[in-house]
Amino acid sequence: MITLYDYELSGNCYKIRLLLSMLEIEYSKHTVEFYPAADHKSEWFKAINPLGTLPVLVDRSHEPQNAGQRRPLQQKTEKPHNEQTADLNPIDGLTLKDSAAILVYLATRYDKTASWYPSSDPAKIAQITEWLAFADGITASASQARLAEGFFYNVDADACRARAHQLFRILDEHLWFAEHRKQRWLVAGDLPTIADLACFPYIILSEEGSISRQDYPAIRRWTDRVKRIPGFIVMPGVFPIGPELSS
Amino acid sequence: MLRVQIASTMAMTETTCKDPVIHNHWHAIAAIEDTGSHVHHTRLLGEDLTYQASTARDTSDSTGDHEFAVSRTAAPDKLLPVHCAYGYIWTCLGTPAQPLFTLPEYAESDRNNVCACSVGVRVSAPRAVENFLDMGHFPYVHTGILGEQPHTEVREYDVEITEDSNEVIATRCRFYQPQAAAGANEGMLVEYVYRVPHPYCSILYKSCPDDESRMDVIALFVQPVDEINIRAHALVSVIDATSAPLAIRMFQQTIFGQDKPILENQLPKKLPLDPRAETPIRADKSAVFYRRWLSRQGISYGVIPAAA
Amino acid sequence: MDTKPDSSSDNNHYWHPIASSTDLTPRHVFHGQLLGRELAVWRADDGNVNVWENRCLHRGVRLSIGVNDGRELVCQYHGWRYANRTAGCTYIPAHPADSPARTICNNRYPVTEQYGLIWSAESALPATHNSASVPDIDPGFLNGSITAPVADGDLNTATIRALNTEREIDAGRLLVLRPIPVNATIDIVSTVLQSYGYIHPLSNTPVHCAVEARDTYRHTTQVTPLTANDCIASNANPPAELIQLHFIIQPVDSARSVIRGFMSGSSTIEHPTTWLQLHNAALSQLRIVAEQQMQAIIPPAAWEVSITPVSESLAKMPGISNAAATTQRVVVRAITDTAKDIKSVEMAAITGDLATWQPGSHIDVLLANGLTRQYSLTNGPGQTDHYNIGVKLEAESSGGSSFIHHSLKPGDVLTVSPPRNNFSLRRDAVKTLLIAGGIGITPLLSMAKALFHSDLPFELHYFVADNSHVAFKSCLDEFGKAANIVTGLDPTETNSRLQQLLAHYENAHHVYLCGPGPMLDSAKAIAEAHSWPDESVHFEYFKNATEVSQDKPFSVALARTGITLQVPAGETLLSVLRNNAVALPSSCEQGACGTCIVDVIDGTPLHQDVYLSNAEKKRGNCMMTCVSRALSDSLTLDI
Repeated sequence: MITLYDYELSGNCYKIRLLLSMLEIEYSKHTVEFYPAADHKSEWFKAINPLGTLPVLVDRSHEPQNAGQRRPLQQKTEKPHNEQTADLNPIDGLTLKDSAAILVYLATRYDKTASWYPSSDPAKIAQITEWLAFADGITASASQARLAEGFFYNVDADACRARAHQLFRILDEHLWFAEHRKQRWLVAGDLPTIADLACFPYIILSEEGSISRQDYPAIRRWTDRVKRIPGFIVMPGVFPIGPELSS
Repeated sequence: MLRVQIASTMAMTETTCKDPVIHNHWHAIAAIEDTGSHVHHTRLLGEDLTYQASTARDTSDSTGDHEFAVSRTAAPDKLLPVHCAYGYIWTCLGTPAQPLFTLPEYAESDRNNVCACSVGVRVSAPRAVENFLDMGHFPYVHTGILGEQPHTEVREYDVEITEDSNEVIATRCRFYQPQAAAGANEGMLVEYVYRVPHPYCSILYKSCPDDESRMDVIALFVQPVDEINIRAHALVSVIDATSAPLAIRMFQQTIFGQDKPILENQLPKKLPLDPRAETPIRADKSAVFYRRWLSRQGISYGVIPAAA
Repeated sequence: MDTKPDSSSDNNHYWHPIASSTDLTPRHVFHGQLLGRELAVWRADDGNVNVWENRCLHRGVRLSIGVNDGRELVCQYHGWRYANRTAGCTYIPAHPADSPARTICNNRYPVTEQYGLIWSAESALPATHNSASVPDIDPGFLNGSITAPVADGDLNTATIRALNTEREIDAGRLLVLRPIPVNATIDIVSTVLQSYGYIHPLSNTPVHCAVEARDTYRHTTQVTPLTANDCIASNANPPAELIQLHFIIQPVDSARSVIRGFMSGSSTIEHPTTWLQLHNAALSQLRIVAEQQMQAIIPPAAWEVSITPVSESLAKMPGISNAAATTQRVVVRAITDTAKDIKSVEMAAITGDLATWQPGSHIDVLLANGLTRQYSLTNGPGQTDHYNIGVKLEAESSGGSSFIHHSLKPGDVLTVSPPRNNFSLRRDAVKTLLIAGGIGITPLLSMAKALFHSDLPFELHYFVADNSHVAFKSCLDEFGKAANIVTGLDPTETNSRLQQLLAHYENAHHVYLCGPGPMLDSAKAIAEAHSWPDESVHFEYFKNATEVSQDKPFSVALARTGITLQVPAGETLLSVLRNNAVALPSSCEQGACGTCIVDVIDGTPLHQDVYLSNAEKKRGNCMMTCVSRALSDSLTLDI
């Protein structure tokens, strides 16, 4: 069974909820009140994640038959030590503490199509990793500005906004030329990857940090495409979208 | 980058409140439970404030309660009036012209009173109050929680301005709510009563699933940071022994989180009082009364007054 | 340009680009801005581009966050729906039983699509606009390289250019650059643009362009094909073939601009991707310079944008009205046989746009032979460029259907009333049952199309004599299993089928009936017998078969007007009101359509219509002035 330590208004938690929904994985939520209680800094939570950050995912399904996808047998016998040496916490499960790590884990283990994280394609996983780092840059800028506006965090919101606009200009240009090559996603290919999910939440929530997306039409179209991925769910601050034009 | 500069330049030129009604009103600035003895900062009506839980003798003036010290950051020695009520610290930048409205339910002993959240929203206070009075958006904005398509009808309800207390009151409000009671499979019509006892505060009474004779209370106290920025404070007062405060707070944060992007996408941000600025329908009766009521009081802060 | 361009001058009508054509992908809403005013720009599934003010008329919420469903734009706040093209509100979910007033209409701006760009202008369009009245883009803009000269005022100018543009883009002779938003004034952008240059990708050397500023907004230069890199450094041997490079600066706000541009050649432009990247890099560099120059000046205040007030009638609650409006002339575009003795007639506006309608609406058609007839619109959502009606040739036609069947031809001009809706479709039903008999399919077809498009659950049961009488067959096929054609039943069999269909009422189910009088009468009786509540049974009769009596005179007091009138025997209440200058909208004037309804304050009406339900008649608080009279000696009406 998978447990997500979750805060409804967190974009980083939303990344995980999106992938869990798109992969149709059942899980239970354990709410951690990030604001105003700051329960993610509490002693009980730090026992689970010493970094005091959200999300945290615990997967107790050691037996592959519990999983959405059965791993190839030989792989299991070949690499038993990986699971043994993986970060096991006292409650006997795999505990992951970073949204990118969780996305990689869920996609690798549970995606039957192996499209969300095509681990056999070195170029693609390298590009995905680039975008995961880019997503961290968006978190450090757009998300911080949002925390300043909505939850009164004491950060330099103007500097965060300026940085976010720099990143958005880069992203819009990337997406515009991707569209020019008939590509729909951050990493070229027919299907979206975890790169799209890692970047999406704090972009779609950017206006809560007074970062308008009006000057980024290619980003706005890409957010429409993400919203039309089967299994997409909203969170507070994210609007639903209508159906795609069927050809 | 540039826009940021423009925005901050404009924020600096924002003048402080010249509206005497608002200037001399009580405004909530923080939840009591979130306020410690160190110095906190906030803004009210365009002015920076500091506040803290006061040590025993700090406040010797005669106004209000003596547990908290609030002052303008620019004039730390001159304490502002303080009133503690309904879980929040209230202050006034001028001279309180009237006592804070009453909310007797708060004192009922079997109620679970929860300061549910304080959230910053880039909108004027009256826009936030008007949204709070609005039922028509439930199926679209609070989908699956306060409403659900196709049940979109806003039935006829009554609105009046009470003579004695000068409040807007909407009664007989009913709206379809999915899973209105815990464990219910089907939705039902839920009854609401709305009060607007203060230009920037509104109180919602909602039929209580556990006790037909009582009503749960959700109150919105809007702190006008300036004309187009607010902090929305929520008080939830329920007759519900089972729900943990965490669940209540998360519920309210979700609701406010859903309203926030709507409010931040309203143009103009100030509430237009000219009847021809927007298009009311029968479902907006409470909003029409609220706008007229603001006009009648001569409110100018956070609104675009109707042309004379 | 710190001050906003003078809107009293010709600039008011100046076309500015606001988006690339490729920005308007299907089912997307583009967030635009021109001269300070925010715009919601969206392309409907039929290709039409809508440029609307970015504010829902109801509560000012940005429409750019709304949903483009291909036919209508839906506001996120309360689900108000606005139609493609007309921008009229078609549905207000908070009041599902009402039809929105026709005058609830978003502010629209002129639009034309040329050179791969979407162009608009500052002046809002009047409610009915004439596309010939907004100035065309300077035909010489491309020095004649694309467009053949077109006569001014030709309605098809824009269309021809759009087609030309498409052809040029397809042939690779027109290449639209990636737009570059710049946080700087138009003047600064214009100045830096004049030193435009790029790095040649083959020779890796800078190329400086001689940019000619036609005015502040428009800049033109020439470049040479990338293959001719030898000629770049000097102009000694200019190649015969030059590529035109055009920049147009979009004035977004006082300190915000977008540089848009396109290249056009007389033959296919080679290496398009390289060109796009090269200009993108060059313009991005230029942006840095422009934004640095902005740092040195005091940023101007944002341009003021006025808010156009809504009409006075809308400002008052309840704001739902069906007031009469002027008629409109339409031209018959097509007449097709859709079934035995049924013609489908398509009519388009001669100038401007048609008025907004909703499912269930009908129009009065004033025929050339002097007759007026009511016909339901069969259009689907967003099909706003025409009205479509279905007309059955009636055996005992007094000239209406006979005229349409035998004399009307494409190109003929007709006068029609604005659409009226007294047969509103609720969209809050858990399930909707549509039951049509014969030509009664027409209003239900429009309803079915709306429900189908919004994926709302419905069943359509269409009773006809035989397959040759099935009208609009191809539309029905689209609904799949939701449409059920019932053929060849006699009245008894029809009744038993209706018994089956209406056997079970469930909460929030609604039935809509339209067909011959006897069928409707029995369907209503069956629904009542099976406990369908009155408010869940909706019906529309073709005509009123009731024997209307005009024997008894009565007096009528008008509460709001403050006068009392006498209605003599032999004259209708409606005509007495009209003769005394009390304006009341009407349509069929035989008690079937519901247009001339008034509220009754006192007295007992003698109902002789087929519009009101039995319960409504019993309540006695409203009546049809065209046929109904008074049982009591006098009536008091709320007019």
